[in-house]
Amino acid sequence: MKKRALLSAMAAAAAAALLPAAASAAAPTEIRIGAPISLTGQLAADGLDQKWSYEQAVADANAKGGIFIKAANKKLPIKLVFADDQSDPAKVTDAMERLIKIEKVDLLLSTHGGDLNMAGALAAEKYKKFYMITTMWPHMWTPKKLKYSALFFFDAGGGAEVPFKIWQTMPEKDRPKKPALVVEDSPDGQGFGGVLKDLAKKYKVEFVMAEPWAMGAKDYSAYILKMKSRGADAVLLFGNPVDAITLVRQMKEQNFSVPYLHGWKGTWPYEFREALGEASDYVLADGFWSMDYPYPGAKALGERYTKQYNKSNTSIGMFYANAQVLLRAVENTGSIDSKAVRNAVVGKEFKGTVQGDVKFDAAGLALVTSTANQWWKGRHMLVYPAQPGGWQLKLAPPWDQRK
Amino acid sequence: MAGNRLYKSAAAAVLALALVPLVPGAVDHYAFFYLFLVFVHIVLAQSWNLVAGYTGQISLAQHAFFGVGGYTTVLIATALMDESGFYFNPLLLLASGLTAALFALAIGYPLLSKLAGDYFALGTLGFGEIIRIGLVKGGAATGGSAGVSMSSEPFETLLPHYLVGLLLAVAATVLVAVLMRSRIGLALMAIREDPVAAAASGVNVLRFKLLAFAIGGFLAGLAGSLYAFYVFSVSPGGFLNLSWTLYPILMCVMGGNGTVLGPVIGAFLMTAVFTAANIWLPGAHPIISGGLIIAVMLFMPEGILRLKAKRAGRQPAKSAAATPPGESSNMQRRQA
Repeated sequence: MKKRALLSAMAAAAAAALLPAAASAAAPTEIRIGAPISLTGQLAADGLDQKWSYEQAVADANAKGGIFIKAANKKLPIKLVFADDQSDPAKVTDAMERLIKIEKVDLLLSTHGGDLNMAGALAAEKYKKFYMITTMWPHMWTPKKLKYSALFFFDAGGGAEVPFKIWQTMPEKDRPKKPALVVEDSPDGQGFGGVLKDLAKKYKVEFVMAEPWAMGAKDYSAYILKMKSRGADAVLLFGNPVDAITLVRQMKEQNFSVPYLHGWKGTWPYEFREALGEASDYVLADGFWSMDYPYPGAKALGERYTKQYNKSNTSIGMFYANAQVLLRAVENTGSIDSKAVRNAVVGKEFKGTVQGDVKFDAAGLALVTSTANQWWKGRHMLVYPAQPGGWQLKLAPPWDQRK
Repeated sequence: MAGNRLYKSAAAAVLALALVPLVPGAVDHYAFFYLFLVFVHIVLAQSWNLVAGYTGQISLAQHAFFGVGGYTTVLIATALMDESGFYFNPLLLLASGLTAALFALAIGYPLLSKLAGDYFALGTLGFGEIIRIGLVKGGAATGGSAGVSMSSEPFETLLPHYLVGLLLAVAATVLVAVLMRSRIGLALMAIREDPVAAAASGVNVLRFKLLAFAIGGFLAGLAGSLYAFYVFSVSPGGFLNLSWTLYPILMCVMGGNGTVLGPVIGAFLMTAVFTAANIWLPGAHPIISGGLIIAVMLFMPEGILRLKAKRAGRQPAKSAAATPPGESSNMQRRQA
């Protein structure tokens, strides 16, 4: 009995894993695109935005009748399938296995973040499936010389240089003279802080305070007092949303305001606005994209998102454009063969995406511009790159003079 | 006779699993990956089974040893080896297990000599955090939070991973079975049941606890190395994730903690449940996992293998997980 129970249990377990295969043996009458997505775990909020963006891009392509594939001699509809990577780099490969072996996808769109995308790119390399990546630092991807992926993002230096470029466009009297730098005490914070310090030298800017801050701290009074006593007139901060919210809230409580406050990582999510309300106005946030871009479809995409979720977003365009590039590469080559599609990306330019014109180099890397957006009445207003007739940067008045 | 039948059945199951790659299309099937994952889980579950199930020391550090094994593999492969020549280097696999065992000895000595029960468990949890933070803050040496990766170019098929995984799973299970039939196993179980009585009977309690902890670390390190060979990259988020400790615990408890085949059954079932939930209920699987953990603890705290014995009214062998926390802890604290 024991033996039979044991064997039955093993058979049941094996059957459970085998069953999904039955659904996967369909004839190739569609273009199957898979994406490992962080549907659960700490990156789930970004993952759901990414999922939404990919779905919009595919729905828009399907609305035009799909994509012509030479082998089928007709336009084929695109089927998009997702697998949850649980925000865990070790689970990305599991998600890729499911997409490739159960869902039988032809091509892949990326997940979100450096270590997750590295795991995804390596899995794609193993199974020789093309993996179109966004949101991964080029310095992680480029040295690997991967043959089945292409990357579409900005580099850390480009992202960190944005405030210095903005300051150069400001009238001399308004330019920050005594900026302070606060970066979270993490590898990312240290790395990004180091880049900011190097750039400060390049732009001949001297920080009156440049200190790491403890992540998850409840009291930033010491930092605020130090900035106050040193007459800081700008703050560059790199930290997670909770810490960024705490800092700005305590700055208000201690009546310390700077005309220019620019954040990375922690100031762009909508929870920053929800937590701080009007106190979030004037704060700048990094971003991947803006609905204020003059590129085809950018505004409509932003409006579609706002209509559905009643908030603005600065990342959906990057994800949407990632899918746009992949779909256009399929269209251009008329094939769903991974090698052919990659060849249709590498060294090519894709004009008129929601992210603008995107040009890939011979290695498959396309660098785009990081944005800076100012919070204003609950919306991200594009400050950088500046657009003709676009939003003009507003310097923050003292707290008691804000309406 | 019953024992012989069981061994013959187990040998037949292993033979069947070894022949799976010969089934046309099997290697490229998702079920093949599922079985590979089961083998990794069996090795990890047996590592915890030895430390907690048989020795009574609840370790919450198996993910740390798993991570140490994985990192050792990738760091050595990327630093010292020609990327085309390291694919499944058995020495590297062994070195990764041994490194994890050394870590287990280094942390096991202060923890096991001073702490027991819940305090020991918390100490091991702290050790896992130290390793994780150390890797995050390791700069270029460990790749920081992004981790380190090696070339996946040598990969052609999952077959070598599968076979090595099967070999390690069988080896880990046989090792546990052999140990438990030896004087060492008797000593470990004596420590689990009553450390004071074991010491009074001449058992060097600390030495045997350390031995079990080091072997457990070695097995977890091997599992980490094998998994690193499969994913080709390691990062604190992926390899120092607490799920590499919690899932094996769940597998042991479900199958039968402190039994040789319990972790094997648990690994097959739990991996199937998690995989199925992931496929059919993406986004909701944490609810399934959480519910299952509660259900197992409520209704099967002694595991599937002991259900029959329990129904027949026989007294099941006591294990650390099945022992009321207070009873076990007090006994072990007295020893400490």
